[in-house]
Amino acid sequence: MSPNILQKYSNGNFHFPIKSGIDNILVNKDAILEVTQKIKEDEDLLYDQLIDITVTDNMLSKSSYSNERFTLIYSFLSLKFNKRLFIFTNISEDNLDINSITQIFESADWFERECYDLFGINFVNHPNLQRIMNDYNFQGHPLRKDFPLTGYEEVRYDENLKKVVYEPVTLKQEFRDFDNESPWEGMKETIKEELEKK
Amino acid sequence: MSENFKPVTLNFGPQHPAAHGVLRLLVQLEGEVVNKAEPHIGLLHRGTEKLIEQKTYTQAIPYFDRLDYVSPMCQEHAFALAVENLLNIEAPKRAQYIRVMFAEVTRILNHLLNIPAFAMDIGAATPMLWAFEEREKMLEFHEAVSGARFHAAYFRPGGVHQDLPENLLEKMKKYFINFPKFIDTLEELLTENRIFKQRSVDIGILKKDDAIRLSCSGPVLRASGVAWDLRKSQPYDVYEDLDFDIPVGKTGDTYDRYLVRMEEMRESVKIILQCIENIPEGPVMVENNKITPPKRSEMKNSMEAIIHHFKLFTEGYRVPEGITYKSVEAPKGEFGVVLVSDGSSKPYRCKLRAPGFVHLQALHFLSKGHQLADVPSILGSLDIVFGEVDR
Repeated sequence: MSPNILQKYSNGNFHFPIKSGIDNILVNKDAILEVTQKIKEDEDLLYDQLIDITVTDNMLSKSSYSNERFTLIYSFLSLKFNKRLFIFTNISEDNLDINSITQIFESADWFERECYDLFGINFVNHPNLQRIMNDYNFQGHPLRKDFPLTGYEEVRYDENLKKVVYEPVTLKQEFRDFDNESPWEGMKETIKEELEKK
Repeated sequence: MSENFKPVTLNFGPQHPAAHGVLRLLVQLEGEVVNKAEPHIGLLHRGTEKLIEQKTYTQAIPYFDRLDYVSPMCQEHAFALAVENLLNIEAPKRAQYIRVMFAEVTRILNHLLNIPAFAMDIGAATPMLWAFEEREKMLEFHEAVSGARFHAAYFRPGGVHQDLPENLLEKMKKYFINFPKFIDTLEELLTENRIFKQRSVDIGILKKDDAIRLSCSGPVLRASGVAWDLRKSQPYDVYEDLDFDIPVGKTGDTYDRYLVRMEEMRESVKIILQCIENIPEGPVMVENNKITPPKRSEMKNSMEAIIHHFKLFTEGYRVPEGITYKSVEAPKGEFGVVLVSDGSSKPYRCKLRAPGFVHLQALHFLSKGHQLADVPSILGSLDIVFGEVDR
């Protein structure tokens, strides 16, 4: 497949090394509906299966591959051409809206619900945008980088009240978060060099 | 139906033996006919992806065993391939053979749980007892190589943790040559069984187009007549060099999904026997102590080896920046890992693409218009394990 066809839909490049030889394009978030429609129907592409939708929170990333807070990664598979495709879309923290692609790929339903639950991305025109992984009354979006690993609430069964109670998290010992990263910059270079030698 | 008829909403699960774990299913019934089946998942959500972000690459491996806990090694395989891809290394040939061999053992283990569980859902109790006896024998092979029956943590980025113990290959060969006989006896119980067929033929039909549209993969997709298997179409490790066939179904009903799994076990046996024949001698881990730990014997004499060991088990190894997606043909379908590294020794983001998650989404489509009693049959044929659905 010629990359030109894909470039037609692309709005610039994603400045990040993408391994494993998967085709990828970066699109504007307003164009996501149009692009997914086209890659599904284009005779030379025929990406007929939606494999996955996922998000990365770029808040703490050491590499500046995106200026925006979130990057959505759509991944598609073409059964006919045996090809995969990544579509990257950047979403800013101020406006978390993006069009839902459920009308084009039906299986996007749960993937989008998951992205909403764990990251708080708001999919416009989604038929049933509810939490999927977390508790029905859960607050916050746990996979964001500013959400603590231990969470805010804990649950237990109270024998006296005969019901499940929600309480703020109390840790029996201090949360242990060791920074084992080597302070020597050299380490990184050594590995890189050695790998390149191979 | 009478005019003042009211649909009934039934709460199926979360504690129900036919729900295969903790599935809460809201079924809207019109008489006995299912109008709408809405799965509520997440009761086993443990935040695996969040936990992996806090751990080094080595510490992340055991989490993969605990996703789909009936086919642990296949998932480690996907993670190992993804990390190797980012590190730009390749496991030695012997390690690749071992990985393929044990991925297939795991596949048989998985199908030997799913098939009898499915049969039990629709009324046959014997297959469960028979299959568990065989599973136990196969788990001994797991135990022999990794020390654990289930949570193996055996496939590591760069190869496998340890070489095979002595005589294991002979034992495995002896066992797997005879294994097809067991599949035959299992088939005698089920394949032509009248009750079994009445409960499964033409139930939950998934046509070719629908299977593709709903993003199905693995045996579910193949039972619908799509000849698609990642081991053939996008081969990893040594699958390319091995000779095996991909069983494909015709109608895409629950009975076909059962048949496809049965045939897959026979093909897996073929692959295992070929691996045993062709496995070369050599190292089982990449011999680069910046990534893989040094040998115990080396550590007794070499200061450098001790330093490497210490660094690897505290800091871990740093993985160059990049995004990758690697998927394997897990027993349930396409299991994939989207791995984002920012150059540190911990994964920046690790998304797990679980086949069961997608298949469970199709449950409403499959069970609409069927009777309530068919729902467990459809659910059993989809091979759902909540460890991977909820993650």
